[in-house]
Amino acid sequence: MCVGLAAKVVGIKDGVAVVDASGAKREVAAELIEELEPGDFVMVHAGIAIAKITADDTEETDELMEML
Amino acid sequence: MSEYVKLAHGAGGKQTSELIEKVFKAHFANPEFTADDAAVLNVGDGRIAMSTDGFIVSPFEFPGGNIGKLSICGTVNDLACMGAQPLYMTCAFVIEEGFPLEKLEMIAASMEKTAAEVGVKIVAGDTKVAGKGQVDNVFITTTGVGRLTEGFATSGAFAKPGDKIIVTGDVGRHGCTILLEREDLGIEADIKSDCAPLWNTVKAMMDATSDIHVIRDATRGGVGTVLYEIAAESNVGVRLEATQVPVDPAVAGVCGMLGLDPLYLANEGTMVVIAPAESADKVLEALRGDKYGQKAAVIGEITDVMPGSVVVRTEIGTETLLPQPGGELLPRIC
Amino acid sequence: MEEKKLTAREIIESYDGPKLRIMEVCGTHTHEIFRLGIRSLLPENVELISGPGCPVCVTPVGFIDMALQLALEKECVICTFGDLIRVPGSEMSLADARAKGAVVKIVYTATDALDYAKENPDKQVVFLSVGFETTTPGSCLAVKKAKEEGVQNFSILTANKTMPNAYQALKGSADAFLYPGHVNAITGEDDCRKLAEEGVSGVIAGFTAKELLTALAVTIRKCQQGEPFFVNCYPRVVTEKGNIPSKKIIEEIMEPCDSIWRGLGNISMSGLKLREEYAAFDAQRKFDIPETEGTPNPGCRCGEVLQGKCKPADCPLFGKVCTPLHPVGACMVSNEGSCSAYYQYQM
Repeated sequence: MCVGLAAKVVGIKDGVAVVDASGAKREVAAELIEELEPGDFVMVHAGIAIAKITADDTEETDELMEML
Repeated sequence: MSEYVKLAHGAGGKQTSELIEKVFKAHFANPEFTADDAAVLNVGDGRIAMSTDGFIVSPFEFPGGNIGKLSICGTVNDLACMGAQPLYMTCAFVIEEGFPLEKLEMIAASMEKTAAEVGVKIVAGDTKVAGKGQVDNVFITTTGVGRLTEGFATSGAFAKPGDKIIVTGDVGRHGCTILLEREDLGIEADIKSDCAPLWNTVKAMMDATSDIHVIRDATRGGVGTVLYEIAAESNVGVRLEATQVPVDPAVAGVCGMLGLDPLYLANEGTMVVIAPAESADKVLEALRGDKYGQKAAVIGEITDVMPGSVVVRTEIGTETLLPQPGGELLPRIC
Repeated sequence: MEEKKLTAREIIESYDGPKLRIMEVCGTHTHEIFRLGIRSLLPENVELISGPGCPVCVTPVGFIDMALQLALEKECVICTFGDLIRVPGSEMSLADARAKGAVVKIVYTATDALDYAKENPDKQVVFLSVGFETTTPGSCLAVKKAKEEGVQNFSILTANKTMPNAYQALKGSADAFLYPGHVNAITGEDDCRKLAEEGVSGVIAGFTAKELLTALAVTIRKCQQGEPFFVNCYPRVVTEKGNIPSKKIIEEIMEPCDSIWRGLGNISMSGLKLREEYAAFDAQRKFDIPETEGTPNPGCRCGEVLQGKCKPADCPLFGKVCTPLHPVGACMVSNEGSCSAYYQYQM
């Protein structure tokens, strides 16, 4: 449905962010995220940053398992 | 088969085999006609290996090489896969009207250098110029002959259960480089084609052990396609360890962006080697002592489970099938 | 004795309660579940059903026919995401059309198509706008920019879809849903909460091995408790309200319309089309392309597969005339499609 790529923001200018996924860089639209800064991690789908995220999934899944 | 040729027929996967099977094999079949990278022929008292390859890469210059270097590497590597020392080559150029002479010289110089590296001589050539638009810049076809090594025989049909599967380097770099250069995908990555002439590398392995069953050049269609071919030709199963496959991080990043698997991307300086467990260590040691084999790794083994299939042990330890390669590589985005 | 805390994997593997049917709605979930071999961990009484969440799979034959008309008759340059290239129309696919001279370009994002239009002012460029809530904002951004910059040779052919009414159509297909994490990244949690209130259970799931296993473990545990539930198992990406600027831009540029889903038929108000103010960027209106229904292969059971009513292997075409190399139905075309996944992994 929607392939997502977690990537790090390495630059941002005029609503366009440069993201880096282990050395592969691309400009993506950052207009749909409020307050994005270099160093933030984002989820990218088809050239658009769709969400600001944490770097990995460890904390999230640990907390969910704790809840069970 | 559909009634006209599509790009997918040239992708090196199932459709390419279909085309060869139904059109070329139907007309060309003879006892020497081969499914391997090069044919083995009896000439006089001796035996030689012979191979030919056409190069249409666009763009003709790319990070890590150009069409000239590639045209030497491709044929040298096809011969080397048979354990044959490349001796002589011919090359045919089809050049587009208007192509800069300076570029042609650059290409020729690069061919000279690459050939010298493995001691192969370019002994004849052909030059044709086609009208503007009839070809894309320059196409090159090279043909090579090599001397087979006594007592050394490899074939895609020789893999045996228990054998180790080795790749001579990290996978998918050439395909990834060309994809980024050719398609206007706006992705930047510091990736160079692995394009390299591997005769000295193969020689190093052969000097370490004569007990090698299969050597295959993982060009079009990548390592995944080669493993499926070997599984079918040897009628064995393949078990791949997903976490052991060496991939350059930037290649992995590009593949993540485009929904592609590096196992299906072309290599031009990386081979798949299959050898019995006892000789695998020697092969690996020889490879790591060679400049093109630094990242060599064992990525799996041959089994007797599900002959014809490639099973992957995943990052979470489960087993699943590697999807069969086929068709044109298409970025998966939505 | 204190009970040892089970891992997500142990919870899944040790489940021995009543039969559970869980539908992963999203095609990327289907793809990752196969890639990671997660099905091999499931006990017999847990069944995963692959739902209709692959935009390529649910795009109707008629849409491809319209795109072909734009490419071949109107001589437009078609810009599209890669997967759509092989989807069969009534008579051919875009890949076939390319062999007949159509110009079809693969792009990474909608604005790349707009940039191509700006660089080639003598060509009419049409972007094939497919996708769900996650993908639609990209098309909207491109159209908005095209209007602001007065680009005359750019338009989009829309087949954008939205999930809420599709969930209504899928009610009862499964005991619980794995909701598509990246759709919810845009829409937030509201739709799923509402479904739980209506008695439809599900969790929002992420895409890594850990996230998928955790989402399945949570689903299994919650199902055992017996009450309708909703849990956001992907909080690092999905917030309660979702991505508000994305929702706004969709609202600004597009409006709901009825939409045909390949295999499922028309689902009322489950699609999006350009608003009247942006009609100049609507390829169908701009080039006066009549609404085309197309003629799908009558034997194809993609529709039932998408609703979990039958398995790919139950379709008479599966693996015989319909294979990944020669797909008939859309579920075989995309790597994400259930039929393709079942075929590739020999299920």
